[in-house]
Amino acid sequence: MPRLGVVPLVVALGGAAPLAGQGVLVAPHAIYIDHARRSGTVTLYNPNPAPAEITISTAFGYPVTDSLGHFALRTVDQPDSTLPSAAGRQTVRLLATPPAGLPDGEYWARLIISTRGGKLPITAGSDTAVRVQLNLVVNTNIGLAYRKGPVATGVALSMLRARRVGDSLVVWSRLQRQGSAAYVGTVRAALVDSTGRVRSTLTAPIGVYFVMEPRYALSTAGLAAGSYWLRYELVTEREDLDPAVVLRVPPVRDSLQVRLP
Amino acid sequence: MRVSLTIFSLVLGSALPLAAQQNGVFQIRDLAFGTVFPGVSSVISRTDAANSGRFDLSGKKNRDVQLTFVLPAVMTRTGLPAATLPLAFGANDAGYSPTQAVGNQTVTWDPRAPQTLTLPNTPNPKVSIFLGGRVNPAVNQPAGSYTGTVVLNVVFF
Repeated sequence: MPRLGVVPLVVALGGAAPLAGQGVLVAPHAIYIDHARRSGTVTLYNPNPAPAEITISTAFGYPVTDSLGHFALRTVDQPDSTLPSAAGRQTVRLLATPPAGLPDGEYWARLIISTRGGKLPITAGSDTAVRVQLNLVVNTNIGLAYRKGPVATGVALSMLRARRVGDSLVVWSRLQRQGSAAYVGTVRAALVDSTGRVRSTLTAPIGVYFVMEPRYALSTAGLAAGSYWLRYELVTEREDLDPAVVLRVPPVRDSLQVRLP
Repeated sequence: MRVSLTIFSLVLGSALPLAAQQNGVFQIRDLAFGTVFPGVSSVISRTDAANSGRFDLSGKKNRDVQLTFVLPAVMTRTGLPAATLPLAFGANDAGYSPTQAVGNQTVTWDPRAPQTLTLPNTPNPKVSIFLGGRVNPAVNQPAGSYTGTVVLNVVFF
């Protein structure tokens, strides 16, 4: 899968209503740029009274899962550094300039919004005192995609399995992306008892870029011993993203009978 | 093949996006060692309600988030003579509270390694991350002001 080139830049924010702490809110969770418009936006909001220094850069990366099913980010490039400036709540527009002859497809990157916190005042002390100050930088890392031409997605679900751990039913499955674009959707899991009553549910956003085996935990607290059905599905629905950027495909489902001791 | 990207900053009066569409990371409290003394180590626990470092995270329910601290091994003295002050983090110096309470840290880890957490299954969850550490000034540690930078990388999947 081709990757999106890197470029850094910009911004900063002045404050609004007071709030303890230093940082910004970033929306949306992922940014999609299509070849026709070649631009996308991200909104940064600083709810603090003090200005925040913001730096934006990009890097190549995509989510994977490790051997335990935990999500991790596989990266190749290090993010570029940039110069800070200052301002207020801002919408940042990103303009992409693809090379001539760019093949159709979806190109991936990560957008990194870096916030440098205010510096701690060094407390006064005697001439023999050792005074210590730690400065803090927070990097918020979200997805960025560029789409050219027709793209399609899908996901193959296999190897659904589950194991009781404490008061949870831990669920794994193998997910393999189909088509030319990342599968971006939602995982839904439900534990259903012998009467057909849903006893526990879980909903989680997911993005499948290649192959992954994510781990989820369904609560089994208070459930009686016995046989249950685990219903597991992936759907292309995301309440946190613009519906126009979500590639719709039919749900993918599997189920598994489990016994709780 | 690469796509070049240009970033423009625009100031718009648009409404803030829905809470369900926001990610946020806020540094609430610095890891505060204050004034220390030569030859005397100073330890701040992640459960120290006043001096531990604290970051608050907001996002979508059940979203997986990877946290990676980049921690300095030393802090550097401001001015001359040049000197460094050792800083150490241990296996239990980072903690996660799904209720934002310093006394309810349900996951602890070594902040020198990445940690992936799942945000709670509640609407628009807010959680807190706490950080402790230790400074080890030498007996002959030169007096003065020492600074260092802690970086927290937060990946929203």
